[in-house]
Amino acid sequence: MTKNTLNPIFSSYDKIQSLYDEIFDENSDVREVYKKLFELYSGLSIDDYGNLNEMAKASFFNQGITFQVYSDTKAQEKIFPFDLFPRIIDHDEWDTIEKGVLQRSKALNLFLHDVYHDKKIIKDGIVPIEMISSSSNYLQSMMDIDPPGGIYNHISGTDLIKHSDGKYYVLEDNIRCPSGVSYVMCNRGALKKALFGVFNHYDIHSVTDYAENLLEILESVKPHGVDVPTAVVITPGIYNSAYYEHSYLAKTIGIELVEGRDLFVENDFVYMKTILGSKRVDIIYRRIDDTFLDPLEFKQDSAIGVPGLFAAYKKGNVTIVNAPGTGVADDKAIYTYMPEIIRYYLGEEPILNNVHTYHCSKEDDLKYVLENVNELVVKPVDEAGGYGISIGNRLTKEEIETLKETIKKEPRKYIAQPIMSLSVHATYIEDTNSFEQRHVDLRTFTLLGNQKDFVLRGGLTRVALKKGNLIVNSSQGGGSKDTWILKK
Amino acid sequence: MLARVANNLFWMGRYIERAEHTARYLKVNYFSSLDAPNKLSQSRQFVLQSVYQMVGETSFTSLTLKEEEVLYNVGLNLNKTYSVLNSIKLARENANSSRDLVSTEFYESINKFYHFAMNYSNDKFVKNGLYDFTTSVTEHTSILRGKIRGTLLHDEIYALIMLGINIERATQITRIIKTKFDDANKAIGGYANPIKNSYEWTTLLKCTESYDMMRRYYKKSPTQLTTLEFLILNAKCPRSVMNSLNQIYNNICTIDNTKVFKKDTSAFLIGKMRAEYEFKTIEEIQLNVHDFIEKTSQLLFSIGFKLENEYFYV
Repeated sequence: MTKNTLNPIFSSYDKIQSLYDEIFDENSDVREVYKKLFELYSGLSIDDYGNLNEMAKASFFNQGITFQVYSDTKAQEKIFPFDLFPRIIDHDEWDTIEKGVLQRSKALNLFLHDVYHDKKIIKDGIVPIEMISSSSNYLQSMMDIDPPGGIYNHISGTDLIKHSDGKYYVLEDNIRCPSGVSYVMCNRGALKKALFGVFNHYDIHSVTDYAENLLEILESVKPHGVDVPTAVVITPGIYNSAYYEHSYLAKTIGIELVEGRDLFVENDFVYMKTILGSKRVDIIYRRIDDTFLDPLEFKQDSAIGVPGLFAAYKKGNVTIVNAPGTGVADDKAIYTYMPEIIRYYLGEEPILNNVHTYHCSKEDDLKYVLENVNELVVKPVDEAGGYGISIGNRLTKEEIETLKETIKKEPRKYIAQPIMSLSVHATYIEDTNSFEQRHVDLRTFTLLGNQKDFVLRGGLTRVALKKGNLIVNSSQGGGSKDTWILKK
Repeated sequence: MLARVANNLFWMGRYIERAEHTARYLKVNYFSSLDAPNKLSQSRQFVLQSVYQMVGETSFTSLTLKEEEVLYNVGLNLNKTYSVLNSIKLARENANSSRDLVSTEFYESINKFYHFAMNYSNDKFVKNGLYDFTTSVTEHTSILRGKIRGTLLHDEIYALIMLGINIERATQITRIIKTKFDDANKAIGGYANPIKNSYEWTTLLKCTESYDMMRRYYKKSPTQLTTLEFLILNAKCPRSVMNSLNQIYNNICTIDNTKVFKKDTSAFLIGKMRAEYEFKTIEEIQLNVHDFIEKTSQLLFSIGFKLENEYFYV
C-alpha cells in the first residue's frame, strides 16, 4: 500500500504499511516530532536537496573523512554515505534508552569482573560454563587481574533497533573497540553547515561533550600512585580503516596518537619515545584488538603491539581501555543471557528488550532452528561487522540446506533470532534522486569510569542503503544520519 | 612530542616547500625562455636540461629531450621522486601521520591540495596546463603556510614544521642558484660582460619570486654580483639563504632550549653556520662561487642529517 504526499521532496515516497516508519505514522501523517522539520524541508525542491547533498559530500571529502578502497590500479578514497535528513528521538523515548544502555554497561562490567574472578554466575547456574570456556574471546591471562577503578568496559557501543511493534530492542553490545563516535560529531557538523536554519527550531542536545567526558573517564581509572596521568590513543596506523576516527579522538581529547612502535616497556613501565627522550604513559586507550596488544603475551607476530605491555598491565602500572578480554561478554551467545545477567548482578528488571535468541548449542533450540531456518536470522557468535549473517527468507533452497549443514557441524558457533523488522526512515537516494524508505538502527555510546558514567546524548543512526537490506554496517554498504535527541 | 611524529611534521614542511620550488622553477624557466635574448637561452633543449639539472635527474642520455616527457616527469609522474606531484603526495602522507596534532583547517587545505593535484589531467598539463598547474601549486602552498602560521600553536610542533620548510627553502634556493649559475656560464648574454650581466640572473630572481624586491633594493638591472648578494646574504629577502638560516636558528631554539648548545648538537651546527654567513661578504663568495654553493649545500645536508639523528630516531 502506498501513499504519495504533496510535498515536492517527498513526492515519490513509497510508504510500505507493514514497516514502522520513523517519520510517518500508520495513517501516513507526519509524527509530532518531525512536523516542524518536515515543514522546513518542504521549502526545498528535490534538486535543492540534491545540491546540498553534493556540498555535504564535498565537505566530507575535503576534510578527509574518508576510507580507502583498493582496486586493481590504485587506492581510492571514499566517504561514508551521509544523509542530510536527521533522525529525531524524543526526550522520553531517549530517557529509556539512556537508562537502559547504562544498565547494560554496568551489568556487563560486573559480569566481566565475575568471569575473571570467582565465576559465581556460572556456579549459580545462570550462565552455562560452555559459554565462557568455548569462547575464543575469553582471555585466561586476565584471571584475577583487577583493572584500575574496577572497570573493564569503559566504552560501550550498544546497537538498538525499533521493531514493527514500535519498541526498541538491543541487537548487540559492542565492548571491545566500538567505533563510529567520530561520525556522530562529523554528521552533526555537516548538517549544521548545510542546513543551519533548521537548528533554530529544535532544542537538541549537543554531542561535542563526548571528548571531555572521555578524558575524565580515562583519567578516573589512572594507575595507583599516579598524580597527573599521561593518556594516549594507540592506533594500528594510517592504513587502518578507522584511522580517521583514531586521529579525531586524539585531537579532540588533546592527547597523543601513538603507534605500537612509539612505545616501549622498561621494568614493567610503559614509555613513549619523544623528541626530548622517553616519557611515561599511564593510560592507553587502545584501538587495536586484544590479541595484537602484546606479542610476548598474545599473537607473536603482531607488529602493531608493544612487547611487554601486558606484564606492565598486570603489575597495575598502566591502564588499558577497554580492558583486554572484554570480548567474552559481547559475544552474541552471551547476549542472549543479558536479561538474566542484569537481574543477577543488579537485581533490576532489564529496561531494554532483548531479541529472543535460539542457541544452537542447546538441543531443543537447534532442532527449532533447523526446522525454521527460513524464518530466522542466523549469526555466527564471534563475528563483528555484519559478517557471516544469513537471513532465512532471503535464501534459496540450496542455500538453506548448506546453512543447515554448516550449523550442524559447529552448533556452538551459531545463534538464531526471529527476523526483526528494523524501522525505516526517509533517506535520500542518489540513484533515483528521491526519498525512499530505508532500514535504520542506532548505535549509542556509553562511558563507564571510576565513580563516573556518561551516555552520549546522540548516536549513530546507521542506514542500510540498499533497498530492503537489513544490514546497516558500513563495511556492508551502510550510510548514516545525524541523530537528534530533543531536550525536555 | 613523539619522535616519529616530529619526523613526519619536519618532512611535511620540507615536501610542501619542495613542491613549490620545483613548480616555480619549471614555470619560470619555461616561460622566460620564450622571449630570452639569445639563441641558446631560447632553445627548448637548454631549458629542459636546466629543469632536469635542478631536480637532479641525471639518467637522460639522449641529446634531444622530449618536451612533454620532461614536463610530465617533473610535474606529475609519481614514479619520479623529484616530481611536484610526488612531493605533494608525501606532504599529505606525512600530514596524515600527524593529523591529530595539526588543525582541522590546515588538514583540510592540504587534503584539498592533494586531491586537486592528483586529479590534474596529464594530458592537459603537458599540452596547455603548465601555467595553470604550477601557479595553483604556488598558491596552494602559500595557503598552507598561512594556515600553519595562522591556525597552529606556535610551539615545538610549529617550530618543527617551520624547520622543515626553512631548511628545504635554503636547500632549494641553493640548488636553483647553482643551476642558473651553470646556465649563465653556458648562455652568453648580449651585453658587455656575457656572464656577469646574463639574462639568466633575471630568470633566477623570478624563479625565487624575488625579482621585484631586488629591483626595489638595488634600483638597477640584476648582475651576477647583486643577484647573488641578494639571494644569499640579504637577511631581509624572505627567499635568501641568510633569511632561512635566521629562521632555522629561531626554530631550533624553540625545540632545544638549553642556553649553551653542546658542540655535537644540531642547534650548535645551525648556530655556527648562521654566524659564519652573517659575516660573509659577496666579494669573498665571488672568488669561487661554485665551491661556495657546493659548501652551502653540504652544510644544509649535514644539518638535516644531524636533526634526524638527534630528534627523530630515538
